[in-house]
Amino acid sequence: MTNPELEHVLEWAAKAPHAVDVEVLERITRQVSGSLRPVRILPSEATIRLVLFLILVLVSIGGATCLGFGIDLWKPASPILWVVAVLGPQTATLTAAAMVPGSRKRFEPHVMLLSCTAAFAALFAVFTRDYRLDHFFSEGIVCLGLGALFAAAAGFLIWLVLRRGCVLDPPAAGISAGTLAGLAGFAFLELHCPIQKAAHLMVWHTAVIALSGLAGFRIGRFAQDLGTKRRAAEFMQ
Amino acid sequence: MWAVAALSLDVDPDAGLETLMEGYQRGDSDAAARLIGRVSPMLHRYLMVHLASRRFAGDLLQETWLRIHQARHTYRPGEPVLPWLFAIARHVRVDHYRKQRRVEDREQQVEVLPERPQPIPSDGAPDFQAILEKLPESQREVVFLLKGAGMSLEEVARATSSSVGAVKQKAHRAYERLRELLEGFTRTKYRNAP
Repeated sequence: MTNPELEHVLEWAAKAPHAVDVEVLERITRQVSGSLRPVRILPSEATIRLVLFLILVLVSIGGATCLGFGIDLWKPASPILWVVAVLGPQTATLTAAAMVPGSRKRFEPHVMLLSCTAAFAALFAVFTRDYRLDHFFSEGIVCLGLGALFAAAAGFLIWLVLRRGCVLDPPAAGISAGTLAGLAGFAFLELHCPIQKAAHLMVWHTAVIALSGLAGFRIGRFAQDLGTKRRAAEFMQ
Repeated sequence: MWAVAALSLDVDPDAGLETLMEGYQRGDSDAAARLIGRVSPMLHRYLMVHLASRRFAGDLLQETWLRIHQARHTYRPGEPVLPWLFAIARHVRVDHYRKQRRVEDREQQVEVLPERPQPIPSDGAPDFQAILEKLPESQREVVFLLKGAGMSLEEVARATSSSVGAVKQKAHRAYERLRELLEGFTRTKYRNAP
């Protein structure tokens, strides 16, 4: 059987009429008509993307303004911040797409999380020359805590945006939202933290993105399980 | 039929799904009724392809419309409607599968087998559902959306949250398998095709 023949047989078979119980259709129409009113359409993907990226910028700059800048503002921005400016909108796009069913998927959220983490770890390895390990844990924990705090703040704001849409895959949406929030925490650390030791930056600063992404996944999975449990309980009653 | 009876003159009878969806978003009950009437058979068939029971498919169709109703503000005018609708239907199906597993964990196995779908007799055409049943779940879904719903590769990729390349690969594998399976479908029968 050739390909066109196969296509023809499939199309022929698919054309056969398919009936739905009239009772079921009437029930659906009644339910829909009963609560039908005009709705405010979700803003365009570009607007949502912009809002999400602004959250990243505002949380990181706002945090550094409150706690102090650790870098010289009059010097050209570090290459790390340029990479944040590139990866931030990409992650915002992914998060905005998670809000709308049937959106075009450019890449997988976990790939984005891994790429961000690996890219920054590699950049620190390339651009930093200070390999001292003194106060590795004591300084690192403080940075991780602060980064996670600002990531949580960004995560809360991102959630406020996300809940306006319809998230069909909470774990995947959680990873992209968590990665974006992690980038906010990471960018804050880049602006605030004066430590320029390679190991400190590679481990503790980058860990904020990884932990935030994983936390997003766990929260998404929890939300999904909660929904399934609730619907299963309704079904059992 | 109910959907035809519910029509009014302000909705163009030949209106596209996009126009009906926009009317539904504006709160136009006629557009909503027409949309339900036009799309439900397709959604029901999609759910039937993956389920053993017609009753379950009916329940899931209702649940799908409930979700569509709740998420209708997320459809962006001008975008294709089918990927949006099937993405929601797919989610309801997957969610049902998860829920089913959770319920089955607490239940004892019964001896009665679930009812099988009854194919509607047609003009000698092969039973689409029976053909698809022979394929693995993911390939079945892709072939249904391409042939049953008439969606493009890009639209199927959007509905199934995957890439166009992955859809192409699944369709290719499904065609390979179907070619073997349909060898028995003789050329005499094929000649009866319209």
